[in-house]
Amino acid sequence: MEGLDIKQIRKEYGAKCAVDSISFQARAGEITGILGPNGAGKTTAIRMIMGITAPDDGEIQFSLNGTTYPGVPKSMVGYLPEERGLYKEARVIDVLFFLAGLKNVDKAVIKERAMTWLAKFGLEDYATSKIEQLSKGMAQKVQFIASILHQPKLIILDEPFSGLDPVSQDVFKAEIRELANQGATILLSSHQMNIVEELCDRIFLIHQGREVSYGTVQEIKEQYGNYRVIVWAHQDIHEVVSLPSVAHYNQPGSKRWVLTLKDGVRPADFLASIPSTATISELSIARMSLHDIFVKIAQGGINDETDLEDSPMGNHAELA
Amino acid sequence: MMRQTWKIAQWEIMRNLRNKQFIIGLLITPLIMLVFAGLPRLLERWNEPQMLTYYVVDETQSIMDSGLTLSNVELKIHTGGSDSAEAVVRDTDATGYLVISAEFLKTGEASIIYQHRNHEGVAVLQSVLTNVLQQARVQETDMDREQLVYLTSESSVVAMAMEDADVPDSHGIVVGIASIVLVFFLVFSSGTMLMQSALQEKRDRMAEVVLSSISSSNLMQGKIIGHFLLGILQLGFWLLLGLPAVIYLLDFPVLEALASANLPLIIFFVLGGYLLFSAVFVGIGATMEDLQSAGNSQGLVIMIPMMSFLFIAPVVQNPDGIIAQVASIFPITSPVIMIMRAAITRVPMWQIMASAVALGITVVIIGMMAAKIFRIGMLMYGKTADMGEIMKWLRYKDVG
Repeated sequence: MEGLDIKQIRKEYGAKCAVDSISFQARAGEITGILGPNGAGKTTAIRMIMGITAPDDGEIQFSLNGTTYPGVPKSMVGYLPEERGLYKEARVIDVLFFLAGLKNVDKAVIKERAMTWLAKFGLEDYATSKIEQLSKGMAQKVQFIASILHQPKLIILDEPFSGLDPVSQDVFKAEIRELANQGATILLSSHQMNIVEELCDRIFLIHQGREVSYGTVQEIKEQYGNYRVIVWAHQDIHEVVSLPSVAHYNQPGSKRWVLTLKDGVRPADFLASIPSTATISELSIARMSLHDIFVKIAQGGINDETDLEDSPMGNHAELA
Repeated sequence: MMRQTWKIAQWEIMRNLRNKQFIIGLLITPLIMLVFAGLPRLLERWNEPQMLTYYVVDETQSIMDSGLTLSNVELKIHTGGSDSAEAVVRDTDATGYLVISAEFLKTGEASIIYQHRNHEGVAVLQSVLTNVLQQARVQETDMDREQLVYLTSESSVVAMAMEDADVPDSHGIVVGIASIVLVFFLVFSSGTMLMQSALQEKRDRMAEVVLSSISSSNLMQGKIIGHFLLGILQLGFWLLLGLPAVIYLLDFPVLEALASANLPLIIFFVLGGYLLFSAVFVGIGATMEDLQSAGNSQGLVIMIPMMSFLFIAPVVQNPDGIIAQVASIFPITSPVIMIMRAAITRVPMWQIMASAVALGITVVIIGMMAAKIFRIGMLMYGKTADMGEIMKWLRYKDVG
């Protein structure tokens, strides 16, 4: 497999285990999402992948064109950090020269690529402006350019869309997808689940330093997102909630029930099993969204009945 | 690896050279120095000595044949009494009047009543009166003036080093003092800039991006080298402006002095001192969130280089004494004190070697500790670390 291979990496700070033996792969040409609540260990994991800190244990391999490197060579990594900032008093072009220069790119090449990218984002007139003169969105574009100017083989993007307007978000999404199509391995960390769902080929879920799940978006939804049924009815629906295919239910309103189906129960089978006597006025069935799965993980499972209102439960025993 | 360090150094230099504040500081500092150092000297050159006028009420009639030439004190005999003398002094805006009573030749006591206070005038009058008194009393003993001069002449001592004593000459002392100023400048000016640069990189959230390209030790070394070169650049610029002024105003043989100083020793200890304290400063900078949040511990650490000040006076008084010997070997004070001792006395070779080795080892140890703190501190956002945390970082086995 070409791309990034993380094997059982672990990192402790004093008594605290920030990353506890996690493993996953990010394939070349794919966008892999790394998701988890704040403090889950994402930043520590990303720092280890970039070689800023070394894992206490485990291995990080990067394969490209048939060669496997122990750790990712620094010249091949491009990084867009979550907390953005650039040298405020420096000029845009100087910052690009400096950062790409650290990756050993030739000056003439930097200049040519920089101008192409700046033009792509409509910033060609700002090349000699100081960073502090740019708007937040412009600075973010400059930093994105800085992270990919050296044509990295592994691109790590931490919250690339935060603070961008919808138009710029679409431009970013298209560029990121294009970079993947050109063969780059892309690791994307974001809390905007709709974008993750739309963009990521695979997802690695981390919580409290441990792996929660790893797979394609569909696999994860199948794993965690049991079907959720919302029923509106004027009378009691005892005969529905007591069906064997229902894992559990609650009644957040006097006329509304939220049912979670058992693992492996398909919507059609559930619908077929509803007695014809049931007086249902309205019914909807949907998988738990990635957003809800994420929220559930962040909360360490669902303990409170009220959570069911917006965040239908799944198999939280697996998450505990 | 060295290339990456050099890129950081270049970036630090270029960033500052493009920075308005730095350029303004570069241009304004020599102006300020000129004002503070040059102006009083210039004023002194232009300042004509002020003429002092004293009226003399001389009841002994002895002042006129005192035979003394007075450069800027004019004595005018007043024939009236004290009361009218005061009125004359007031009318003519004279400095004051001198009353030599009839008892003077016996008691030696006279009084000056002044309108304008002037210590120089009093001193001149005192020496005039002493002379008058001595002459009057010599006449009583039949001694002539030549004999008096012969009897009261002062000794004159010339201090000269033995030809083989190998003691630095006075020009060397000037170079020594200039080198100490250089150490303090590099440590405090460049050191502070260095600290701010680490702080700023953290605040601008660039540390992580840069560290995704190069190692933290390269980053730290690059910063230290960059700011050293910036400091030298600043000093070089100022010297270029200031040297002609120094030669004109102070009439000092600069080249001769440089030739007579122990340059290899000075260069080693200036460099060693800078490296030692810059490592401390950059490490401390990495532990802080911003300058305002610098805790007491950080403040104390920044004061460490000042320790040398405590030893300067005792070392000048007794450059071969035990305090001087210890302070010139102890690595925190040695950069300043060794340069100073070498300028004023002949330091035994073993002490120089011991001091150099101690400084070298300390630079390496402190550098390694600073690198560890820098590596963790640069990636820590949101708060200033306290001493306890910094000690904890130092105990981490592997941070990289």
